[in-house]
Amino acid sequence: MSNFVNLSIFENYQKYIDNEQEIREKIRLMVRKIEQNTKEAAIQLQIIHCDLSKIDNACAKARKTIAVCSENYQSLSELIPIGQYYRYSDHWTYITQRLVFIIAMVVYLEAGFLVTRETVAEMLGLKTNQADGFHLDIEDYLMGILQMASELSRFATNSVTLGDYDRPLHISRFMANLNAGYRLLNLKNDGLRKRFDALKYDVKKIEEVVYDISIRGLKNITNEATDETSNRETEENDSSTNAVGTVENI
Amino acid sequence: MSGRSNARKQPKVKEKVIIDENNPMLRAFQAYAKELDAKHDRYERIVKLSRDITIEAKRIIFLLHSIDSRKGNKDKVLEEAQQRLEKVIKVNFKAVAQELQNLDPYQYRGAYAPGLQEFIEAYSFMEYMRYADDNQTSMSDWQQLQGKMQYTEAETNDEISAEMKEHKLSFHVEPSEYILGISDLSGELMRRCINSLGSGETDTCLLICKVLQHLYKGYIGLSIPRCRELSRKIHTMRQSVLKAEDVCYNVKVRGGEAAKWGLESEKPNVDIDEGFF
Repeated sequence: MSNFVNLSIFENYQKYIDNEQEIREKIRLMVRKIEQNTKEAAIQLQIIHCDLSKIDNACAKARKTIAVCSENYQSLSELIPIGQYYRYSDHWTYITQRLVFIIAMVVYLEAGFLVTRETVAEMLGLKTNQADGFHLDIEDYLMGILQMASELSRFATNSVTLGDYDRPLHISRFMANLNAGYRLLNLKNDGLRKRFDALKYDVKKIEEVVYDISIRGLKNITNEATDETSNRETEENDSSTNAVGTVENI
Repeated sequence: MSGRSNARKQPKVKEKVIIDENNPMLRAFQAYAKELDAKHDRYERIVKLSRDITIEAKRIIFLLHSIDSRKGNKDKVLEEAQQRLEKVIKVNFKAVAQELQNLDPYQYRGAYAPGLQEFIEAYSFMEYMRYADDNQTSMSDWQQLQGKMQYTEAETNDEISAEMKEHKLSFHVEPSEYILGISDLSGELMRRCINSLGSGETDTCLLICKVLQHLYKGYIGLSIPRCRELSRKIHTMRQSVLKAEDVCYNVKVRGGEAAKWGLESEKPNVDIDEGFF
């Protein structure tokens, strides 16, 4: 009777699992490399909190590091069997979110708008569509953007400290838009939802900074500067010009 | 500032969200929202399907427990159980396979895993009841089950263009889910062992005990890193094995008649289940 339990099933399963472990091991190594690069880029970007004149330089450096990451992602994607992205994705979700954050930060600093998921995917050499292969998961993208929001609220305070009173206004408008964007999403009660709940504190912090600037009349910008920022702004968002009005009216 | 953000919140309340079409950020987010919703909806649909599978599988297991040599209903019950299991494969799993068509099944694993495990438990239990007297046949492994879950679909699905006449479709049976499902079988076997004691079939008790020991041997041989679920199940399995061994012990020392009284006190533990009934 004991023939009913076929012990070779367990042998086969053990082989199956060993094989999986091997793949995981390789993934782990590759992810560690990406982690290292990401850290470098994150450090390079920290300069924005102490020296505003070096922002462009930092962005250029970070872009180079991101390019390296993109190569590593290429090798990583070759390790994953087709159609098994989500089997192993827990190894790289965190780091991908971190990279989304860095890329979004760089693009914001350079151009003042929110990077789209397509652009992030392109910069990392990933697909946007699941069917096309190794892709950028939408939740990872959204998580990374929320991380950027926290960083921006810190950046707003620090740029005031460094004497740049325009920047917080722009960041504030940007964040209000971002907040509105996230409100369009129906989030499940998961990690993303929790992280989104924290966004309101970032928004609040920036609004307080803007308030402080406005009430003290520190917004001593010349007209050219206003034009410059609002021009940049119109590309991104028409309605935000109204926001400038609101702030000035206060 | 706050007045403005309130104004933004308001449209959210309505069903149709009015957004500024000129704002590329919001347009992008609308697309993201669509994608997220599609994903969550699919997940929910699969959860529903999985729940139906779980309920049906539990009922089939219950049905199989009603096999009683005194009533001589074995063939009839087995026939019905088999038919119902086939139907679950044909209808319910096919629906899940359709949902997962061209998608990464691992993404929705959490949604269908409970149903699949319960199904595997029911299926292997049916096989056990069927082959209990047969010394040759062993239980199906995941590849055999996988082989049963192949579907060809005549094009009725309106999502896909009409050019493909017949479409191959299969439900992916993940070996890990199989192993987890089979480990639940030990609980059913133990229950069966104790029931047989009640009906005086002491030979069955001894047989089942052997099968359980064998199963346990297979499981402790596995070395699987970071799978808490499995180690929990192996722990439960050990208790089932111990209970079955106790039954056999009592049969030997006291003879079949007396043993069923002795075990009465241990019975309540047996019926802990996930509460689908």
